[in-house]
Amino acid sequence: MNTTTSTSKTRVVTGRFAAWAQQQVGGLLLVIGLILFPFVFSWLYGSPVDSGPPKFWQGQLIVVFITAVYAMSYDLLMGYTGILSFGHAAFFGGGAYAMALFLAHVAPRIASSYRIVGPGGVNVTEIVLLVVGFLAALVVSLLLGLLFSAVSARVKGAYFAMVTLAMAEAIHILSKATDFVRWTGADEGLHGVPVPAWINPIQFRLRFYFVALAFAVVMYLVTRRIVHSPMGRVFVALRENESRARMIGYNPAVYRSLAFVTSAVVAGSAGALYALWTMSATPTMTGAGATVDALIMTILGGIGTLFGPMLGAALMELFGHFFYQWFGARWPLVFGVIFIALVMFLPYGIVGTWQQRSAQLRALLKRASQQRRQDPSDS
Amino acid sequence: MKLKGFWRQNSTFVVLMVLLILLIPLGWITMGQKPFVRTVLSGLTLGALYLMVAAGLTLIFGLMDVLNFAHGAMFMIGAYAGWQFYTNPTFLFGLAPLVFALMTGLAATPLLRPLVIGWPVPEEWQRRLRTFLILLAIAVGVIGVLGLDLRDLAKTAMVSTMVAANPLAEATPQEPLARFWLRPTLLLIAGLLMALAQARPGDQTQIVHRAEQRRGWIALLALLALTVAAVLVREPAAIVVLKMNANWRFALALLVGMLIGGGIGAVMETSLVRPLYVRPFYLVIATSGLAFVLKEVVQFLWDPLPYQMERPPLFAQPGKADSILDWFSAQTTTVDILGVTFPSYRLFIIVLGIVMLLGLLGLMRYTRLGMIIRAGVQDREMVEALGINVRRVFTLVFAMGVGLAALGGIGAAPFIPVEPVMGDRFLMQGFITVVLGGMGSVSGAAVGALLLGLARAFGDYLALKFQLTPAISEASTVIIMAIVLLVRPSGLFGKKE
Amino acid sequence: MEMDQQPTTDILTVETIHTYIGQFHILEGVSLRVRRGGVTVLLGRNGAGKTTTLKSILGLTPPRQGQVILDGQEIQGKRAFEIAGLGIGYVPEHRAIFRDLSVAENLKIAERRKGDLERRADFIFDLFPDLKRLYKLPGHHLSGGQQQMLAVARALVADNKLLLIDEPSEGLAPVLIEQMMEAIRELSATTTVLLVEQNFIMASQLGEHYYIIDDGRTAHDGAMADLIHDTALIRRYLGASAARVGGEFAARSEQRRGG
Repeated sequence: MNTTTSTSKTRVVTGRFAAWAQQQVGGLLLVIGLILFPFVFSWLYGSPVDSGPPKFWQGQLIVVFITAVYAMSYDLLMGYTGILSFGHAAFFGGGAYAMALFLAHVAPRIASSYRIVGPGGVNVTEIVLLVVGFLAALVVSLLLGLLFSAVSARVKGAYFAMVTLAMAEAIHILSKATDFVRWTGADEGLHGVPVPAWINPIQFRLRFYFVALAFAVVMYLVTRRIVHSPMGRVFVALRENESRARMIGYNPAVYRSLAFVTSAVVAGSAGALYALWTMSATPTMTGAGATVDALIMTILGGIGTLFGPMLGAALMELFGHFFYQWFGARWPLVFGVIFIALVMFLPYGIVGTWQQRSAQLRALLKRASQQRRQDPSDS
Repeated sequence: MKLKGFWRQNSTFVVLMVLLILLIPLGWITMGQKPFVRTVLSGLTLGALYLMVAAGLTLIFGLMDVLNFAHGAMFMIGAYAGWQFYTNPTFLFGLAPLVFALMTGLAATPLLRPLVIGWPVPEEWQRRLRTFLILLAIAVGVIGVLGLDLRDLAKTAMVSTMVAANPLAEATPQEPLARFWLRPTLLLIAGLLMALAQARPGDQTQIVHRAEQRRGWIALLALLALTVAAVLVREPAAIVVLKMNANWRFALALLVGMLIGGGIGAVMETSLVRPLYVRPFYLVIATSGLAFVLKEVVQFLWDPLPYQMERPPLFAQPGKADSILDWFSAQTTTVDILGVTFPSYRLFIIVLGIVMLLGLLGLMRYTRLGMIIRAGVQDREMVEALGINVRRVFTLVFAMGVGLAALGGIGAAPFIPVEPVMGDRFLMQGFITVVLGGMGSVSGAAVGALLLGLARAFGDYLALKFQLTPAISEASTVIIMAIVLLVRPSGLFGKKE
Repeated sequence: MEMDQQPTTDILTVETIHTYIGQFHILEGVSLRVRRGGVTVLLGRNGAGKTTTLKSILGLTPPRQGQVILDGQEIQGKRAFEIAGLGIGYVPEHRAIFRDLSVAENLKIAERRKGDLERRADFIFDLFPDLKRLYKLPGHHLSGGQQQMLAVARALVADNKLLLIDEPSEGLAPVLIEQMMEAIRELSATTTVLLVEQNFIMASQLGEHYYIIDDGRTAHDGAMADLIHDTALIRRYLGASAARVGGEFAARSEQRRGG
């Protein structure tokens, strides 16, 4: 009697541990795989790591990592807090423009008058400037997040969506207004941003690859931490039932703003890194298309799963690449049709559907094993 | 008592109008007569266009809670349809038999229902049978259009803009009738298969209505006749239309553009939107995805180039009329209004907007459909509980809203470039208009459109004066919206929740 | 002709229906039989599933299992407008009239055939004379009691053989409750009424037959005359205050019988 309970207990414990390890192992394996990817790919392809197709595919994956973080920040807002915002591009583009403007117009002036050389001839100024640029991007996206949540504090539902859409559109228009052409390059965008040499994505593609990978992993861990924190639970409570959350004593307006600002900062940091990668900031980064991309990636991967949107981002980039090869200039048409079909027939996204299916499967297995356990007693 | 009630109901409106009227002398004095009048007129033109987009948006949102992100694309489709019809309708007439044939097949649904619900199909097979029928229908339909040279048909209008002097110069070679008739036949079969699926064979829980049967026969026969006629007149009709008085052709183009928009709206509601009412996030994606696809299709057919549609001769005689009355006889390009030379076509847009607004308000106020819409905006469930088929009303309203956007598109086509992205800006401004006025309210949309149009026009004027670009004034309309929403979170005329 | 043939005495039969709202299993087997004519009352606590029962009958929240039979015809699974079209009038809770429509439009919209309103106007204005005076006013100008009357009147415009009335006394002043009760009694002479009512005074005076819904199941049923004597049963399912009312009634009717 006693032994059976203890064994079943250990079985439960080991089972739980196994499940936990399995989950973590999946993530770890993915990260290790991504770390090894450039080398394995170049070994398989037979060309050096820093040229040809290996370099190209590193670039593709860099874009995936950055857009994955961007999509994830959108999921934090839409999937966890239940806020349908159409202004997300403003944060991404805001971060990108902040970084690019800082590096193009402020940093050179500082770098020309101050120069700190660290041990071993490392140019400390450049590193400091890059960090400051990053901070500038964070501050800009933080302020934008505050502005958006202040203006939209009193409006709800569709009005909220429209207000955010309109505000993002205003920022988009400003980003391509010819009035500021000296700084922003208007329609053309700001090109040839002087990115510090040691992280230049053309010269040191592999280095940039690891920076972007680390960025994505860290951002994922941070966001997951936020989601599972008490604050994250309040976000979910707001999504589920706002009036109940209010009754328990949480001020919905405050927590909505918090979610907004957090998401804005994550999106802004992704934008800043994207500006480094493209060495530019263009109006497309602030346009409605960028918001729709986030929405598509989130829904494609699965709302409220964090990892789903990242997967969605990866699929979007890869689809984009291969569809362009297969269908040429008409690929958006094919993609659009496929996407509408996905929305109609795969309502929970890829990760969501998979979770559901695996839950069903698990329930089925459980029932089967229960039956098996019952059978001997029956006979 | 009565006055008090009136005030309580209309205070926002009265205050706004008084404010606008008070602003008139201010503007007149500070800006000078001519710039002021010109700015007001262009503001009204813009407002009329915004209204045409916003009216449909507000109705669709009010009744169905759907943010239709494809509305801008519908505006664009309307513009293309009208442009094609006016310049060279070969494309539309070439496509019409196929569309009518498919519709004829679909119209057989209520007639097939009593025949097939008794079929001995086991319950678990009913769904599979329907899926199979629909897939078969799609296959037959695809075979039906295989090899149809859509692109060349579409290009006809482009060619005739180049040889504008004589639009009949190139007779577009089309498939001979002896071969063509197979296509509508196949599409008719595809439609019938789809109708069979919709009649749900074996599903005995359905009600068969007698009245629906009779109406179904009439609709089917009418559509069949239309299909046959469309097949026969496929080539000559285009020439007849081109030989027509160009003003009448333009009026007809307005009507055709609206009908095409309405048809697309109805199809869109029943196929794309209806399954997603329960998942509003997805609806946003599905409608914006559709907008994307439609833009791509248009690019595929007509290339992403901007086209300029000619103005109808009523607004195209060279010279300037001294007054509106004078214009009626001279039909010139421009009219003198209070000392300002203003394009007469833009005045027509203002009139079109006003006519549309009055028609819509009348419809909402005096017809049973309007009554049902107003009731449904408030409580759909109760309307259904009264025995009214709300789903059909949804389809109708969706079709109507999209039709109005298409009308706006064809109205705008003669003075803004016809291009795939033309709808995007109007969608944005339409959304702002709807938010300003309060979602679900037609009069709110009208006031919102007026405010936004004037704000844009005066903003442009001021921007020019301070040597800024119009982009600044476009961005600043958002500030107006933000201020209004901070004071009234559900817009000027929205229902308070 | 049709008057002569009297089908079964039950106009509506509900057979163990199960209804879900989202993930929640609201009705877990409700069964009812509503006899032709008169008033049948659904009793039960808040959240017991009374309103959902009405909505399930009408198809607004369609049941996933079970049967609903109206006049010998199975109606479960049909769309709400089709079911309503078969002759069911619905008066929802919270006086859900169309606030932006005038009184006249509120009535007019309920027409199923042209001229319904004209045909029934006298009957309606007889029951609720106030509405004639308010005919042109928009719905949101009406007081709570007037709105409730309008909501009932709206269900009378079309030729309905069954009326589902949900809490007509909710939030009304005692005088108005009296008036509403009178009206329902009067119209139950010509149609069948299935009434959901929390106000036990009203319920016990109007109803001939009662059903108690508890936790999504039919817990009890019987003749109203028996229920008012069963204080324990009332206390168990409807609470202490209803039991007090029931006790008073029982006492009064005893007195009456004695005197």
